[in-house]
Amino acid sequence: MKKAIGLALAVLATSVVAASAQGAQKGSSAIAAGVSCKGTMKIAFLTPLTGGAGFLGNEQGSWAKYAVKTLAPAMHLKIQLVMGDTPVEQGAAVAQTLAQKYVGDRKVVGIIGPSTSGAVVAATQTFFQAGLAHISPSATKTDLTKRENGKLEGTPAFFRDVPGDYIQGPTDANYMIKTLHVKKVVIMDFQEPYSTGLAAAVERTLKAGGVSTTRLSASNTTTDYSAFVTKVPNDADIVFFPTQKPGDAQTFAQQLLEQGKKAKVFGGDGSNGPGQFKAPGSYVSNFAPDITGIKADAKIIAGWKKDNPKSTVGSFGPPSYGAVQIMLSAIKRACAADHGVIKNRHDVLRQMKRVKISNWILGGKFAFSTKSNDPLNAKFYIFKIQQDGSYKLVG
Amino acid sequence: MDQFTQLTVDALTLGSVYALIALGYTLIYGVLKLLNFAHGDVFMVGSFIGFGVLQLLGGTDNPVVPVWALLVIITFAAMAGCATLGVVIERFAYRPLRDAPRIAPLISALGVSFFLANSMQLLFGADPRNYNTFDLSNGALYLRGIDIGNVRVPLLRIITIVAAFVLMVLLWFLVNRTRTGKAMRATSFDREAAAMMGIDIDRVIVFTFVLGSALAGAAGVLFAVRVPTTVSIGFVAGLKGFTAAVIGGIGSIPGAMAGGLILGFAESYTQGYVSTKWSDLVVFSILIAFMIFRPQGLLGRPDISKV
Repeated sequence: MKKAIGLALAVLATSVVAASAQGAQKGSSAIAAGVSCKGTMKIAFLTPLTGGAGFLGNEQGSWAKYAVKTLAPAMHLKIQLVMGDTPVEQGAAVAQTLAQKYVGDRKVVGIIGPSTSGAVVAATQTFFQAGLAHISPSATKTDLTKRENGKLEGTPAFFRDVPGDYIQGPTDANYMIKTLHVKKVVIMDFQEPYSTGLAAAVERTLKAGGVSTTRLSASNTTTDYSAFVTKVPNDADIVFFPTQKPGDAQTFAQQLLEQGKKAKVFGGDGSNGPGQFKAPGSYVSNFAPDITGIKADAKIIAGWKKDNPKSTVGSFGPPSYGAVQIMLSAIKRACAADHGVIKNRHDVLRQMKRVKISNWILGGKFAFSTKSNDPLNAKFYIFKIQQDGSYKLVG
Repeated sequence: MDQFTQLTVDALTLGSVYALIALGYTLIYGVLKLLNFAHGDVFMVGSFIGFGVLQLLGGTDNPVVPVWALLVIITFAAMAGCATLGVVIERFAYRPLRDAPRIAPLISALGVSFFLANSMQLLFGADPRNYNTFDLSNGALYLRGIDIGNVRVPLLRIITIVAAFVLMVLLWFLVNRTRTGKAMRATSFDREAAAMMGIDIDRVIVFTFVLGSALAGAAGVLFAVRVPTTVSIGFVAGLKGFTAAVIGGIGSIPGAMAGGLILGFAESYTQGYVSTKWSDLVVFSILIAFMIFRPQGLLGRPDISKV
């Protein structure tokens, strides 16, 4: 028996080491040779298509595909969108491996994503060394674009079209203080970059506002939160639950009721999944408003609905459409500057910050900040979950 | 005191599910000396079968049968579906390798695990499946139950714990008090001698897979009635079940039950009293401690090699 177990553990350990080794390869500094703008170029999208956050990647993917389908021909570009799966449960190694793969493909001239902050941390150096611009439609960790506690995890090749947690954290915390008048808040994290960063940002503002806080930390693979719910004080007003799996937020809310706790769940942008997180009275924040209320988007929504008749418009898709729009604009500008040939990937990267969009899908105009690779004047929105499970904009 | 009671209820719920998974590992190891790493994914398939049957019966919004019947039907459907899956896995992935070196069926088991997880994803997508049992009877399964001090033990947890223990008692009875059980024990003790005594080894092995997989199916439903299930859940569940089986003494039925409960208690109390960050560390440290100081597990037999 001992031998069999030893053998089994050895096989498992070998698999883990092999996966880690693959993920730890040094970033290639390969720069794509000239790519003709008349030929087909590729944009790769790194997002979780499977696992607990698979809903997010599939929603983002559908909007990215629609953006490529409609916007690229209008810009006289031939673009192929390739999708790479980065399940949140599998950590950083997958994003690293995919980054190597796309860097090695000379037709890849831009990257959408990675969608999650952890995957950005894992892949951004590789992309930067290759001069590949990458723009995330959902990675919000502050230090991806701004120095925080003396640390900057992102690179100059990383951009995002949504605001960071340095806006989300205070927005959520201030809503709790000023509107919900909370006295005691439990803050959870899931031992990965996104939730730890956001939890810290919320905690700072709450403490500064005189709110009593308790911090709990769960592994990213936790499915049953009963023991965590047990530790929530009976008089806690809110449990801040910045998961990337909305189904887990729903489970947590139900287990709070099960144990007779009065606290409500307040999720971050990662919890924003109306199909899965629908506990009445809970809150979620998001970087995008409900775009169905923006008149200028009606045609885009109708076109997307035609391609995705069974889907509803969520909050993660529209910023992906926007990210593709920004990337295509940068490619077009690089093509024009280089007389129809992208000589190397830096040419696209150089154009990124110059992109301006007048009819931005999230409303108003889009431009990058001059101080960071974040959008200018972007903000977070807060939704309250209604009795029928729908999300109502409240802040 | 209330926290202790609540954590104990959590531990029993969690531990009873781990025990059911561990029993599958231990049964198959006992008879075949094979670590069936696909077992966690059979558990996952069970949770999906339960979800599918639940939808066929009208879902939680509009069930066509009473709630108790609904829970019984989805559990038995998952057990039947997983038992069939177990037979197929044994026939195509393990039987051809029965006389091969030990590493071969082990790798085959890992392959089956990936095959099941990826096939399920291809067929049903990556979205989590939530049974939404809260909506059944307007939350009665969560909000009603037995009060112990200030702690309410909800009906759903009582059902989970009782169902798991009933299944364990039935299994114990089957293995220790029936002719088939005797054949299983004989095969486990010495396969060749059992064959010479007229026991149909193939039949016993198939029956063992039926039994182990059915328990995984039941565990899948008992787990998923409380938390959403995904195609990726099998890996972690399998790892915990395997750990429970090793702690209890792989090959020992009472050991698997004890191992599952120990794991549940260790996880729950660590989260409650030590740190929520440390539960996996403590659980797997217990595994390492057993591997070093008592490799045969709590109730397992030490290997004796003829020298």
